[in-house]
Amino acid sequence: MLTYNTQIALRSLRRHPLLAAVIVAGIALGIWASTTFTTVRHMFARDPLPGHSQRLFYVRMDNWDPARPYPTGNGGGGLTQLAAPVPPQITYRDAVELMRSNIPVRQTADYVSSIVVFPDRKVSRPYTSPLRLCFSDFFPMFDVPFQYGRGWDKRADANAEQVVVIDDATNQKLFGGANSVGKHIRLADRDFTIIGVLAPWRPFIRMYDMVGNFVAEPEPFYIPFSHAPKMQLRSFGNSDGWQSVNLATFEQFLASEIDFVQFWVELRTPGDLAAYQRYVDDYVRQQKKSGRFQRPLLNPIRSMRQMMAEYGIVRPQLTAMAVMSILFLAICSMNLTGLLLGKFLARAPEVSVRRALGARRIDIFMQHVIECELVGIAGGVVGMLLSIGTLRFIGKLIADSARFSLDLEMIGAAVFLSLVAGLLAGIYPAWRICTVQPAVQLKG
Amino acid sequence: MEIGPITRALLRNKTRFILIVLQIAVTLAVVTNAVNMIVEERKQMNKASGFDDDNLLFVRSRNFAPEFDQLEYRIASAESDLRALRGIPGVKAVVNTNFLPWQGGGSSGEVNVIGGDGSPYRTQQYAATPGFVQTLGVKIVSGRDLRDGDVDDDPNSTTGTVIISRDLEKLLFKDKSAVGQQLTNGTGPISVVGVFDPFYNPYGWPIHEYCAIFAGHVSRNGARFLVRVEPGMLKQVAPMIEKRLIATNEGRNVDLQTIPEVKSRYFRQNQIVIAAMGMVIFLIVVVTGLGIVGLTSFAVTERTRQIGTRRALGATKPAIIRYFLMENWIITNSGLLLGIALAYGLNYLLVTNTSGVKLDWRYVVAGVVLLWTQGVVATLAPAMRAAAVSPVIATRTV
Repeated sequence: MLTYNTQIALRSLRRHPLLAAVIVAGIALGIWASTTFTTVRHMFARDPLPGHSQRLFYVRMDNWDPARPYPTGNGGGGLTQLAAPVPPQITYRDAVELMRSNIPVRQTADYVSSIVVFPDRKVSRPYTSPLRLCFSDFFPMFDVPFQYGRGWDKRADANAEQVVVIDDATNQKLFGGANSVGKHIRLADRDFTIIGVLAPWRPFIRMYDMVGNFVAEPEPFYIPFSHAPKMQLRSFGNSDGWQSVNLATFEQFLASEIDFVQFWVELRTPGDLAAYQRYVDDYVRQQKKSGRFQRPLLNPIRSMRQMMAEYGIVRPQLTAMAVMSILFLAICSMNLTGLLLGKFLARAPEVSVRRALGARRIDIFMQHVIECELVGIAGGVVGMLLSIGTLRFIGKLIADSARFSLDLEMIGAAVFLSLVAGLLAGIYPAWRICTVQPAVQLKG
Repeated sequence: MEIGPITRALLRNKTRFILIVLQIAVTLAVVTNAVNMIVEERKQMNKASGFDDDNLLFVRSRNFAPEFDQLEYRIASAESDLRALRGIPGVKAVVNTNFLPWQGGGSSGEVNVIGGDGSPYRTQQYAATPGFVQTLGVKIVSGRDLRDGDVDDDPNSTTGTVIISRDLEKLLFKDKSAVGQQLTNGTGPISVVGVFDPFYNPYGWPIHEYCAIFAGHVSRNGARFLVRVEPGMLKQVAPMIEKRLIATNEGRNVDLQTIPEVKSRYFRQNQIVIAAMGMVIFLIVVVTGLGIVGLTSFAVTERTRQIGTRRALGATKPAIIRYFLMENWIITNSGLLLGIALAYGLNYLLVTNTSGVKLDWRYVVAGVVLLWTQGVVATLAPAMRAAAVSPVIATRTV
């Protein structure tokens, strides 16, 4: 019956190709706008590490000025009104202390710096590159994919071994894409051994560092955090301070109250979270005795999704755009109702003959609903194709190299929307035509 | 008038009525809120920095030669870079500074007034060599500009010389002059020698207009420069910069960005919102318009015999046109009434859930006028077709 109805529907569409084209184009426009803008929003809103993010927590401590809270709201470091009134990052010295805890299953302190890379002179001139200092757990915590080798281990963390992880683009540029694990590369004044090469990796949201530009690309180089003091690598990311102290030497900088380190922990259970919160609070209470942390105790430990909300990752305009594009789809759908009504009712005599020959109301109804759904699907496909092109363009605009495309979830949503749009548009006309009185039409 | 018969006829065909009313209502709600959003985005984008943005370049030297580890070497190199940059034809002024307009941030710190009430004020802070005001194209409004003698490159120095923005002067000194006053950031005195105006650089904190420029070179992590060119000369000057700087010292790379590029990157998301909302407005008006044409044509076809009958009974062509326009006007107004409610409802949702701004009633009025016009335009063609129906039709049986 379904195939039969589909055949009739197809034949009916083919009879008025122009009208069919107009109807398909209408749905396509609506699907195009709505999938494009809901996808744009979705790219920001979706879970950056599905199945894993709920175990990742970001640690902050209020070491700010005793006289005033850290200003949020109009955004220190891009934070929204939702944000806790504490600095978005912690100090180097506190990060080093927190790393001693054994409550988290994984943990990393990290910050971004800059370094001069000296490749083989035959390959490239020396150049300056962003570099992230982090702990070995960084890679498994943020599901960082490797194509060759792997991250370093805890021993390398402890001993500041001269090992480096490079990204795919750097490997292409300096080693022609070959397996470069075990090769050496000079960073600033010392030689590092390449221990891992990342697979191409471009998360849309740089979930491990949302403080600065959260749609920026991941860094090309990663080295153990413990290199910070020896190599004197200053922060090239956001850093906040409130005290005026002399920072002429690097040791003074590391010992200061300047917040530039980000701290993530992976906790398995709510019990672990509570225990870890106690651990951090106890640490701060102890520090208070030596005159630090003179503000009221406030050490928010929030999950990755909560941090995304605090940082306002989903710009409100994106939500507004998504809402309006869905309203536009609704308009397209209503328009189709009008067109389909005309199209179907013009067919009243033919339908009356079928009814008189024994077709049930439900058959007529189904036939017409199927016709609407065919149109909906055709429009959905066209709209989705258009949308993929548009998204590629918008992706380039928002985040230079980001892959900004429909994922399975969004394709599902687009199919769903086109089916709903087809159904909404068609259900009333289909009902009208199936309730036509055959007798009235057949007379005369 | 025929209002009575028109409404009765409308009520006999509720589907068409409801469809058009809903479309018009949603269209009004979307159009007014979209315009509201566009205006809000534009407001942010139109805020002027007060600088000669269109003719500014940011140049950064990224050093790798070991000599750059020495402060004296870096300063000598920055000075020779300044000379090299000034020597390029088309360059108007150059300054060695870590200030980069429109990057969405910068550096800041707290200062308080010596002899004041001791309360600290957060302000943007940058270092620059003399030439800052000429390069940005701002004016010294009181006191004097920075001089070569003010420049202090000693990293252990606790004193300094600054010029500050007019808005910072107002913040710190109310109505008094800042010139000759001293500030502190916890260490030694910082002398204010001059005040410049205007200054606006959007920052993470609400300190966009507050700025203090310290006399000094910026050489650590590579010297940075702002270059101002003769109007329209960016394209000619930019390619020469890297060559000239590498020629004076090749132990480095040189990065270059024009301020218009930096600015457009800063406003990219706003531009996307504006483009997207503009497109939605255009499409929704066109689609609704076509929808009205379609539904009205359908109504005309359906009523061909009735129209013929009216014509046969003496109705003139203008009367038929007037009938359809009137009918459309009633439908449109019903839609607009519902639409105004929807527009404010949608706006309420946007304000409470997405920190949107309140809807300006003038956009609602403009939307109403737009949809009236659209209604008339969309109805005119089908109405003309209706008027062309021959009275003879009435005599035929179909």
